[in-house]
Amino acid sequence: MKQHLGRQSGVEKVDVSLIDGKVDVTPKDDGQIDPIQLLKATYDSGVTAAEMTMTAQGKIVKDPSGNLALKINPNQSFVITPNELSKTLEPLADSQTVVTVRGHLFKKPAGKKKAAPATPLKLLLLEVQKKD
Amino acid sequence: MIVRKLALLALFASSLVPLAQAQIKHIEMRVEGMT
Repeated sequence: MKQHLGRQSGVEKVDVSLIDGKVDVTPKDDGQIDPIQLLKATYDSGVTAAEMTMTAQGKIVKDPSGNLALKINPNQSFVITPNELSKTLEPLADSQTVVTVRGHLFKKPAGKKKAAPATPLKLLLLEVQKKD
Repeated sequence: MIVRKLALLALFASSLVPLAQAQIKHIEMRVEGMT
């Protein structure tokens, strides 16, 4: 699985801990990495992804439906699932402020052996680390 | 003229900085069924 993930576009380094089933993916400096591709590559290598957490920098925008989203680049943004933390970012919507956040992109429903990730992935904020 | 060019360059650079900072820094997964 390590080799399979390491071959994905934008991946710099993959660290796998067999003991606790933790996989750390370090993107290349350009940050051009696609979490959906990583999830697909994980399934392709025969293991089940139970959870995916991302730390990312980007701007807060409002999509045409009025949902908050984290925009990483013109081609990559993640709709933010509303929670208490997302409310604190609402005033930053469509501003030039760059925020660093950590959040769940995917969590396997309890009781299911295998669950395909919903696309597009939604970001459930766990932490707002920095506002520049 | 030079001042105007420098001002335009500064304006252009400032618009690029936030995009340059934006990126995915780290991804962590928990997987099951790994041997």
